[in-house]
Amino acid sequence: MAFQQRNKFCYFKENGINDIDYKDVKLLRRFVNDQGKIMPRRVTGTSAKMHRKLVRAIKRSRAIALMPYVEKGTD
Amino acid sequence: MKFYETLYIVDANIENKSLEKEMDDVGKELAKTKSKIINHRVWGKKRLAYAIQRQKYGSFIILQYAGGDLGKMPDFDTWMKLNNSVLRHMTVALSEEPAVHIEEEKSEQDNEKIQQQDTENVEVEGDKKSDSASENENESKADSDSIQVESEVVKEEQESVSEED
Repeated sequence: MAFQQRNKFCYFKENGINDIDYKDVKLLRRFVNDQGKIMPRRVTGTSAKMHRKLVRAIKRSRAIALMPYVEKGTD
Repeated sequence: MKFYETLYIVDANIENKSLEKEMDDVGKELAKTKSKIINHRVWGKKRLAYAIQRQKYGSFIILQYAGGDLGKMPDFDTWMKLNNSVLRHMTVALSEEPAVHIEEEKSEQDNEKIQQQDTENVEVEGDKKSDSASENENESKADSDSIQVESEVVKEEQESVSEED
């Protein structure tokens, strides 16, 4: 059986977001897993340009204690 | 001219008056760098993602300004670091000029409207709950019906088997 892959798309390009604010924790939470790790680009489908900005925003938000460096996973 | 933003965390346990005093102190210290303050506001009391100096909560304060004498900025940074009431601070460069923040003041009429909406919402939710409850009852009835039908089918099969024998 052939598995159908869902079409990936860049969330930021789709929504016309150019600058990612490190204070927008609700948005950034979508791009980390339950352990607080940044998800790879091949999973999220983010474009290379926006992924670089995303990573910077997440790291900034970790430095100011808005997001965790490490978090206990669910399992 | 470049624009900067400093976000700093102050102990959440201190009172409002001392928080204002703290903000004044930070503003005065920043004035030494001849920076022009655009926004200086309390963002809110938030839960920290990890404990800093054994504190779980902190008051986040946003300070946005146009850069002045950049040679004096390291002094400001050091002052913030040595300031015991500031748990942590971070300065980032902004890509564009920040808009002046305007406090959203809700008039009494708006508040009344919101309260009315809330009560309406609660009523609607209550109706929905009762509806869903009745649906559940229907479903359970349907389930019992289907079980009866199944048992009849099984009986018929058994009868047919006995006839064959």
